[in-house]
Amino acid sequence: MAAVRDNVFPTRMNLTVTKTRLKGAQTGHSLLKRKSEALTTRFRVILRKIEDAKLKMGKVMQTASFSLAEVAYITGDIGYQVRENAKRATFKVAAKQENVSGVLLPAFEAEVRAGAGQFELTGLGRGGQQVQRARTAYVAAVAMLVELASLQTAFVILDEIIKVTNRRVNAIEYVIIPRIENTIAHINSELDEQDREEFYRLKKIQSKKKERAARAQKEIDEAARRAIADGNLHQAVGGDAPAARDLLAEQADEDVIF
Amino acid sequence: MGYAGYARAAVGATTTLLALWAGLYLLLTGRGERFNVGGYLLRISPYMWGLYGISLCIGLSVVGASWGIFIAGSSILGGAVRTPRIATKNLISIIFCEVVAIYGVIMAIVFSAKIAAVSGATGFSRSDYYTGFSLFWGGLAVGLSNLVCGLAVGITGSTAAVADAHDQQLFVKILVIEIFGSVIGLFGLIVGLLVTGKAEDFAVAVL
Amino acid sequence: MNEIHFNVDAGYLEGVVRGYRDGLITSPQYLNLTQCETMDDLKLQLATTDYGSLLQNEPSPLSTSTLAARCTDALVAEFQYLQQNAAEPISRFLDYITYGYMIDNVILLITGTLHERDTHDLLEKCHPLGFFDSMPALCVATTVKELYHTVMVDSPLAGYFRECLSAEDLNELNMEIIRNTLYKAYLEDFDAYCRSLGDPTATIMSEILSFEADRRTVNITINSFGTELSKDDRARLYPRLGGMYPEAQTKLARVDDMDQVKAILEQYGEYRSMIVGVNLSMAGGDSGSSALSLEDRFFAKEVQLNKDSFEQQFHYGVFYSWLRLKEQEIRNVVWIAECISQHQKDKIANYTNIY
Repeated sequence: MAAVRDNVFPTRMNLTVTKTRLKGAQTGHSLLKRKSEALTTRFRVILRKIEDAKLKMGKVMQTASFSLAEVAYITGDIGYQVRENAKRATFKVAAKQENVSGVLLPAFEAEVRAGAGQFELTGLGRGGQQVQRARTAYVAAVAMLVELASLQTAFVILDEIIKVTNRRVNAIEYVIIPRIENTIAHINSELDEQDREEFYRLKKIQSKKKERAARAQKEIDEAARRAIADGNLHQAVGGDAPAARDLLAEQADEDVIF
Repeated sequence: MGYAGYARAAVGATTTLLALWAGLYLLLTGRGERFNVGGYLLRISPYMWGLYGISLCIGLSVVGASWGIFIAGSSILGGAVRTPRIATKNLISIIFCEVVAIYGVIMAIVFSAKIAAVSGATGFSRSDYYTGFSLFWGGLAVGLSNLVCGLAVGITGSTAAVADAHDQQLFVKILVIEIFGSVIGLFGLIVGLLVTGKAEDFAVAVL
Repeated sequence: MNEIHFNVDAGYLEGVVRGYRDGLITSPQYLNLTQCETMDDLKLQLATTDYGSLLQNEPSPLSTSTLAARCTDALVAEFQYLQQNAAEPISRFLDYITYGYMIDNVILLITGTLHERDTHDLLEKCHPLGFFDSMPALCVATTVKELYHTVMVDSPLAGYFRECLSAEDLNELNMEIIRNTLYKAYLEDFDAYCRSLGDPTATIMSEILSFEADRRTVNITINSFGTELSKDDRARLYPRLGGMYPEAQTKLARVDDMDQVKAILEQYGEYRSMIVGVNLSMAGGDSGSSALSLEDRFFAKEVQLNKDSFEQQFHYGVFYSWLRLKEQEIRNVVWIAECISQHQKDKIANYTNIY
């Protein structure tokens, strides 16, 4: 894989910054990983509950609709009566919120008002028991439905969130961290390269200086030999005393050659 | 209140009124001594007795037969709505009822053969009186037994029809009962024949 | 002497009604019906019965509600045929039979009016047997008071309303109490009328009606446990006839739970056999029990009584009995259909066999 990296200027400053980013990315990765695991655990629990609830649901609904058939068998059609006599809801659904690792899940709760309700006298002359039994069966069925609805909503939301989190974890793990690492490697290699160049240059300069110094020495020696030959020892030894340095004048120091 | 009630009330009222009228008429016209039932009965002509007997014989028989046919017929009709097959089979009940009327007709013919015009100055003999009375009571016996027999056969016939409609096997069983009912009319017929058997013809009495 | 003149008015109708009786589904047919796996099978099996021609034109996935509706239509058509062919004493008897349905219909209309619904829509929901000519007139009434007056003027139920209720009661009392009060008055009146008809009818009908009264008594008692219905009110709803009147009713009016009811019923030979083995504590929502409920026993007893009335000829009871048997049959068929469509084959045998 071609090394994907950030387009940064390879400096020591950037190296430090990038290393900090790497640290951050790793921390974030482990945090997200843990969150995702927590959510998945929760998800599994909900999944199991949903399965149970659905299995139970079939049975409960069957009982309920069958008890309605029993009512029809014994009492006949009471639909209208019951509908007209219902004035207040005896079964209410309340929505709440639950916090699971920072995710808000809606939860529905059924509230059943105690008492047989308004149509407790329905079927007084015939089949009242069956009517009440059908009622109980349906209350159970509706409670079941509410529970299932709550679980299903949580299921869908959790599913979405787990997907997002996992995507983030993977993105950090497989894209961001390698990229940062690549960047760091790149910066390091660039810096090394620079160092080597610098060193070479210094060596070159040193060798040049050495060469120049050697030549100058040679000239001095030559002049000295000539002077000796001319009998001008004094000149050869003393020469001109160098002029006193003018500190204020612009002048470069002699390069130091190691 | 059913039809029997109405009929009973009507018959009762008519009889009472007639009796009251006759009694008061006799009393108020000063002929109270005529309340002499025996004398009255003796004064009635033997022809009257004989012809009464014949008409009661045929009349009651026909009433019985037709009533029976009505009872059986309406049930057959109703039953045949769902099971049309019973209609032809149960005609036998109707025929049983019809037989009752035929008994009456036969007896009426037998009886009427004894009636002939009486000529001569002597008037009715003792034998004539015997013939008259025996024709009357014989005819009444035949008529009443046929009336009751007709009703009995009609009611059993109606049951037979209904039972047949429900279960075919029941038909023969109830038919046997129906035959027993039908025989009652025959008893009346025999007794009627015996009662009038010893009576001489009117014509014979006059020489 | 009843046999002699009975057929004058009712011979034909009796024959017809006995023919209808023969059309009731018999136990082998019920067995065949219970063997069905799908509604189409059921339809096929029903084709061999009197219902065959009715269901022919129904679209194939037959729903139980259509089935019930068609069966009821058949029942109504047959009953109306009887009514149209009836002359005076028998037509009055048939009218009496329909009063029970009329009570339900009028109650329905009153409920509608109380809740300010459009009562014209309700006419369709009314039981066709309880339809009387002036019923559409009841829909005109917008207030309960008006309705009460219309009922008093237009319906054959005026007598029952006058005896038991005032216009204010309609507003104040629970609809079920009104219904049961009316039904009680109806039962008593019907019984008195049957007694006036003379012997075979009176004997047979009073037996059936007194059973009906007893059943209502027991049911009202059982169903009023734990409700707002006070014990005095409960006693007031008991019909004043039947084998339980007055002694057992007085006792039943005071009981509080099923065990006491059981203890009282056990003192009466007729009902002792009925409650043996019956799971009386059904109120606990235990519908899974396969034991027959008290209602089933009542149905069986009712069927038995109504069957017995066919054992005798020349009386009016057969008309009432036929209607009851036919209703039971419709319930049975619908029950079987429900069991099949809901795959509850284990309960399919809970119907009440007739013949």
